[in-house]
Amino acid sequence: MKIPILRLGRILLVSIQDDLTDNDAMQFQSDLVERVAEIEALGVAIDITALDVVDSYMARVINDTACMVGLLGAEVVICGVQPFVAMTLIEMGRDLLGANCAFNLEQGLEILNRRIATRGDIHIDEDEDD
Amino acid sequence: MTNALGHLLQDQRNALFTAWLERVKAMLPPPSSPISAAPPPPGHHLRAIFEGILDALEQPPSEDFTLGPTDSLTDHLRQLVSDQARHGGSANETVALLLTLKRLITARLVTSTTPPEVDGLLWLDRVFDGLTLSTFDAFVEVREQIITQQSLSLLELSTPVLRLWNRILLLPLVGVIDTIRARQVTERLLEAIAHHEARVTIIDLTGVPILDTSVAQHLMKTIDAACLLGTRIVMTGISPEGAQTLTKLGIRFDDVLSRATLRAGIAEALQLIGLRIGPIEDRHS
Repeated sequence: MKIPILRLGRILLVSIQDDLTDNDAMQFQSDLVERVAEIEALGVAIDITALDVVDSYMARVINDTACMVGLLGAEVVICGVQPFVAMTLIEMGRDLLGANCAFNLEQGLEILNRRIATRGDIHIDEDEDD
Repeated sequence: MTNALGHLLQDQRNALFTAWLERVKAMLPPPSSPISAAPPPPGHHLRAIFEGILDALEQPPSEDFTLGPTDSLTDHLRQLVSDQARHGGSANETVALLLTLKRLITARLVTSTTPPEVDGLLWLDRVFDGLTLSTFDAFVEVREQIITQQSLSLLELSTPVLRLWNRILLLPLVGVIDTIRARQVTERLLEAIAHHEARVTIIDLTGVPILDTSVAQHLMKTIDAACLLGTRIVMTGISPEGAQTLTKLGIRFDDVLSRATLRAGIAEALQLIGLRIGPIEDRHS
C-alpha cells in the first residue's frame, strides 16, 4: 500500500490510514524523505488519527522519519495521537514521537505555520514567484 | 678485474656509449603526446651513469655488489628515476635502459673471448642486479615523496573557513573526512570563530559523498566544540540518503539547525543575526 503524500504549498501532508507492514513503513519513510528534499519543504504534518494501535516499531519509524525530515530542514508535527495510543507509548517508557505533537490536523497545521513564520528562509523564494 | 672484461671496457668505451645511446633513443616512445610523455633523459646524465657503471665494473669482482647511498652513481640514478616518476613514467623504463647496456656489454664480451669468460659474466650480472635493485628503491622513494607532498597540499586546499558576512562563517566540507582532516577542520574553524567572533556558523555538507558513523562523530565533535564558543550551527546540504543513514545510525544533532540547501541556510543565518537579503528598491519605498 502506497501512502499518498499531499502538497500544500511548501508543506507536505501525510495521513496514515491503516496499519503498515514493515516494508510499507520503510517505503513510506524513503518516499517522504525524497519528496521533502525534492520540493525543499518547509513543514511536514504526519497525521495518525486513524491509527488505533501503534507498536514500538511503527513508533520508531515515525520518530526516525521526523528526525530525517528535520535534518533536511523542515519542521515536523505529528497530529492526532489517539488517547489509547498515547497510553501505550508512555507504557513502553521511551521517548517516542518526541515533543512535536498536535491534537488534530488543524492545530498541527497552525503550529507548523507559526513555526515556519519564524524561519529565516521563507522569504528567499519571493522574487522567484513574481 | 677480469682481464677480458677490463680490456673490453677500456678499448670500446666510446663505441659502447654510442651504441647504448642509439638504443636508448630507439626505446623511447615516439613524441606523439608531448605533454604526457617523459622527456628523453639528457645526454650528459646518461654519460654520467654510463661512466659510473663502467667504473663499478672495473673494480675487482667481489661476492656482493651494492650501491652506497652516497655514491655519485646513486645520485645520478636517483635523478634519472625522479625525472621519470614525476612525468608519470614507470620504473620499468629506467631499468630497461640499464638492461640494454648490460645486453650490449654481454654481447661484446661473449664474442670477444672464446670460450666466454665466466667470471666476467658473473660480475656483470651481480653489478646490474645491484643497480636494478637501487633503481627500484629510488623509484619508490621518489613516488612516496610525491604522494606525501600531494596529500599535504590537498589538506591545505580542502579546509577553508570563509567569512560569509559579519559574524557569519561558512565551512564548506568537500570530500572524504578522515581523522586528520577532521581535526584540522575543527582547529581552523575554532580559530576562525574566535577571531571573527562569529555568532552563526554554517556547515555545508553538499560535497560530502558519504555520511557514516565516523564522519558523523567527527562532525559532532566539531559542532560541540563550536557550540562551546557560543556560536549557533546551521547545517546545510544533507542529502535524503545522508539523512536516512544518520537517523538509522541513531545519531541526533539536537542543538543544530538543519536546512535543505546552502541558500536556505544563509537566509537562516542572516535571520539569526537580524538581517535579511531583499531587493534594493525596498529601501526607497
